Amino acid sequence: MEYVRVHPQVREYEVFARKARAEALHLVGSVVAPDDDLARAYARATYDEERWVELVIVPKDALLTLWAPGEEGPDS
Amino acid sequence: MRYAEWCTAAPTLEADIAAAAMGLDDIGHSRVLYGCLKELDGEGDGEDRSYRNLAFLDRPWRAWSQFVAANVVLDTAFTLMIEALAGGKVEVLRTRLRKMLQEERYHYLHGHSWMKEADAGKAIAGAWREAVEWFGPQGSDVDELQAAGALSLTVLELRARLRERLDRPEPPISIDWSGWDQDRRRTSDGRIDQPTLDMIQGLAERRYMPGG
Repeated sequence: MEYVRVHPQVREYEVFARKARAEALHLVGSVVAPDDDLARAYARATYDEERWVELVIVPKDALLTLWAPGEEGPDS
Repeated sequence: MRYAEWCTAAPTLEADIAAAAMGLDDIGHSRVLYGCLKELDGEGDGEDRSYRNLAFLDRPWRAWSQFVAANVVLDTAFTLMIEALAGGKVEVLRTRLRKMLQEERYHYLHGHSWMKEADAGKAIAGAWREAVEWFGPQGSDVDELQAAGALSLTVLELRARLRERLDRPEPPISIDWSGWDQDRRRTSDGRIDQPTLDMIQGLAERRYMPGG
């Protein structure tokens, strides 16, 4: 997706969180930022309304896709 | 308050949200600090209604660079003072200010990252001067409190830590300390306008109350 942004170079970060240690991390949203520090600040500002025990961000381009919607997976 | 004024005017949606979140954080920090003051002011009546602020906050910021300067310089100076209080020997401050420092870490990340991108040199120099005025001159109350153990950092140590956090040398700053007001912690006159002060103190909202 193309973004019209103030920053000349940005990355999209996926935001994951969980409310209890027994839970798995799950995707709660995303932020767009030019660097990791600002992404941390944005994720905390945007998603800290819940009482998460863990909140992490991952650059979306660090995710390795095996297959995506519309593509054939092994069970197709 | 000044952060909140930018919650629909920052350069990106994420920065809008961060401005609102940081403003809310700072309201919470004020409540904690006033609570501490009330406990420490055991013999006072707690009824001092006067208001003091840095000159940088007198008027709304007209440019994002001013937001960035306040965020990275003044907020970091504030954080350093809170660290010095939390590292001192006053028990109520040692125990209650930790969460504040956790939240301020994100203010720093926000301001420091924007400092690298925004053309904010002039605003940063102005904010830096006000941070130095806020710390005060050598040998004044801050150094006295440090000598007494209430603060863990001297004026010079606070200024050195500020340089370290901002990754840059202090700009040339010339202050005539003879005009420094210790209570207001500034050399210049001026103050915020009355409508803004009423809003901060919740007085402006009274008009929405039944019979208000």
